[in-house]
Amino acid sequence: MSRETKISIAILVLGFLAIGLYWVIGDKANYAVENERIVLPHKGAKNFKELPEIKAYLIDVAHVINITHTFLPLAKSELDENGQKVQQILLKSKQFLADIINSKGEMEHNDMMTIRPAIVSVLNAKSKAICNTNSCYEAVKYNFVTNTTTRAIVELKSQQLLELKRFKKMQPDVSQRLRKIAQAIALNAPEIKAELGEEPSIKEMSMANVRGSLNDSPCENKEHLCVAPTFSYHDKEEALWAIVDLTELKLAAAKWAGLGKTATPSCISERSFQNREVMENYCQKDTMHEEDGWKLAYRITGSDGLEIVDATFKNKPVIKSAKIVDWHVAYRAKEGASTLDGSESYVAGRRVEYVKDSGDAFYFGYNDAMGCPMFSTSVVLAFNIPQIRPLIKEGKKIGFYIVQDYRNPKWPMACNYRYENRFEFYSDGSFRVVGVNIGRGCGENAIYRPVMRIDMDLGAESFSKYDGSWKKWLVEQSDFQKEAKMYDNDKYLYKIENRNRGYYIEPNRGQFHDQSRGDNATLFATRYKEGEGEEDLMTLGSCCKLSEDGVERYLEQQESIEQEDIVLWYVPRIQNDARVGHEYCWADTVLESGQLVVKEFPCIVGPKFVPFKVK
Amino acid sequence: MRNFKRYIPILSSLFLVVNLFFYVKNLKEKSSVEPKVVQNIGSFHRESHCGKQPNFLTKLHIKAPVAIDLSQQRYKGLAFLHGKALSKVLHLKTWEQFDYFSSYALTPTGNMFLTPMPYISVKEQTFEFQKNIYKLHSNSGKLEVWLHLDEVHPSSNNPYGIIALTYDCDDNSLWISSLDETDYTHNRGVIYHVDVASKKILQRVEGVDALSLKLIKSEKGKFLLAGMARENSLNAYAIVEQEMKQTPLTLFNIGESTCRIRKISVIGKNQLKLKTIPFSYSLIAQTQEGNIRKTYTVLWDSSQLLWDVTGE
Repeated sequence: MSRETKISIAILVLGFLAIGLYWVIGDKANYAVENERIVLPHKGAKNFKELPEIKAYLIDVAHVINITHTFLPLAKSELDENGQKVQQILLKSKQFLADIINSKGEMEHNDMMTIRPAIVSVLNAKSKAICNTNSCYEAVKYNFVTNTTTRAIVELKSQQLLELKRFKKMQPDVSQRLRKIAQAIALNAPEIKAELGEEPSIKEMSMANVRGSLNDSPCENKEHLCVAPTFSYHDKEEALWAIVDLTELKLAAAKWAGLGKTATPSCISERSFQNREVMENYCQKDTMHEEDGWKLAYRITGSDGLEIVDATFKNKPVIKSAKIVDWHVAYRAKEGASTLDGSESYVAGRRVEYVKDSGDAFYFGYNDAMGCPMFSTSVVLAFNIPQIRPLIKEGKKIGFYIVQDYRNPKWPMACNYRYENRFEFYSDGSFRVVGVNIGRGCGENAIYRPVMRIDMDLGAESFSKYDGSWKKWLVEQSDFQKEAKMYDNDKYLYKIENRNRGYYIEPNRGQFHDQSRGDNATLFATRYKEGEGEEDLMTLGSCCKLSEDGVERYLEQQESIEQEDIVLWYVPRIQNDARVGHEYCWADTVLESGQLVVKEFPCIVGPKFVPFKVK
Repeated sequence: MRNFKRYIPILSSLFLVVNLFFYVKNLKEKSSVEPKVVQNIGSFHRESHCGKQPNFLTKLHIKAPVAIDLSQQRYKGLAFLHGKALSKVLHLKTWEQFDYFSSYALTPTGNMFLTPMPYISVKEQTFEFQKNIYKLHSNSGKLEVWLHLDEVHPSSNNPYGIIALTYDCDDNSLWISSLDETDYTHNRGVIYHVDVASKKILQRVEGVDALSLKLIKSEKGKFLLAGMARENSLNAYAIVEQEMKQTPLTLFNIGESTCRIRKISVIGKNQLKLKTIPFSYSLIAQTQEGNIRKTYTVLWDSSQLLWDVTGE
């Protein structure tokens, strides 16, 4: 056999093999649902209100709210001659304008979205008869505050309003002006630029007309008006969907998805994006962080909030684990204990526990666990991903903090809660465990108790309390910080140390310049034992028995803690306040310039740990 | 010229391979755009079920219509609504002892089997309750644990255990689903086929997370319909000689990506009614119809071979 024949046979064999392989695996579509990539804007991200389109829009909205007291009309360029006449009719129509002022007489933000010749399918029988022979127009307006779409049918010749329908919780097609604003937000969002790896151009963008009819919004927050400008890449069979929230004028989220039918924007939502990102990157694995001499890992737990694990400072171990395992929420009712049937019931989707107090008074409330948005037993769920930001004092960076936001989905509505778990790390080696409550709760007489668990990693630890001099605790016990009269250096009440180094514990008495009214905490020092909180804890104790914090069960045996692995439990006690001008642990929704605005009044608690060397 | 002849076999084989490649590429592209066959179970219709209401209702002179209320909105556990506009209620305190129920099935003798459900918050006994199938006795109305499955392991990362069941009139058995130990990446749910008389597990199919179950007979045979817990789809598992086949037909998806099918009913010829809830293996919160719970009607169009799914 000649050399050429051998080469020919080899070409045939290898060629057939390659073609066979190509048939089986080659040229697969790039798109698969599990490969979808989610892009979430970071908290405090770009403020789009400085964009010229938005600036001009907000000036016009303010003019309408404060001066003309109508809706924001469509520009002439968006209307034909008849459309302009219809708009003038509706600007004076009391019926059409009936929902732009609320019962308190406050103006609400309304935009005219479209005015077009009416099509038969939107007309009732009576209108059909009239519009058969006359020119009729359909005008659609949107109320951003009540999330209501209004549809009017106007007969032009008689200037008569034939039909007026209001669709609650529905959003219309948006005006050209809002389309341009959505495009401007998408084009200017740093997250989109980073994803595309280039300066996006309007030519590459298509505007998904996601609401040809009155469809649900692609925002998870369905009370908002959202649209989805899209950057399509047909060669890669994928597209970047930018979800723009036109109620808040921001980028809500973005997602790389296939161009197929399975990935239409109505199937994607801001919340499900967040949940996937949180689950895959923060609930399923630890994230490492290194800054200012600190090295640590953090993760979102199933029901114990954000947890910091294995933190070291300048290579020396400091924290084994720090987390907030629970928030006890109790309300006091002055009378009615005698009428209670059982010790629990359900209110607004939550289990309410009752504990009788003196006389006919009683306490009622909840235990709020914070955790992953899926596969968990929590009711206050991780909202967006953990954020890391600098700690600044007098213009100088003095450390960093990691914060995780947890919310009931309907916060700030009544009986819905929002908590932040924050861990501050300073470049001098000190750190602070911080619980933040942003209301709103069910009433103005709430007592909140976050249960903080801090397992230090000094090794062979001792614990002491200051009462004029340092006194060592030899066995497990607790202390009510509020009753303390003396602090070392007017700051420190407790300390934990080994033979070489230690940490003073500085309870918060309002000295951290964060408007806090103090911790009023109970501190427990227990010996580390398996099953006592190193893994996710179920609800710990009663929400409403104020004489107990739930940790008492771990020190019943009063075991020795001297030279042991000590776990600190720190349980601040906060009274909320809803009085105007004194709000604390509170949130309220108010109408400002025609828009709903959430006012936050956080209360911030938690001790600071300050390092020292043992002499 | 002689030299060129030497290379003819090489050039011919190259020509053959290149042409074959383009032919295969073309064939492959064609095959990938061909529409998928819509999976179906053929035509079906509503059948009267062999189950009947518990005998104690007759003893108490409670007449039809009677509705079984597991909604947990007004009554914990179980309640029977009856009378004009279902305004009267039969509810015993003892029916609250095992907390909350998720689904029920009636037998021809009027016994009722119930599955548990974790609801709103977790208490000390919550996980233990999720391991049981409960029985409400037809004559006495006594509620008790009928079967305890120790292999079911709910946890704080997935509080679910046994969740759905349906009664099989053909052999006096129950088809039961559990969701325990499923995590973010793996389905570890199990479908059990249990003989009612002996309480023996006849079949055990692993890796199926079904939030709702319903037996149905169609022109293509007997199927177990399963509303999936992880996807917004309705799957059908063929049952041949009382054995469940493990490869499902995925019939259709409902519109909302976060909703899961919680209840399946056959309401007419080729017509299903589905109730859905948002579900993410977290605790079920108190909900209201029209708020986040939704109802869908589904029609199988046998002439066009299409499922028509409509949200109400």
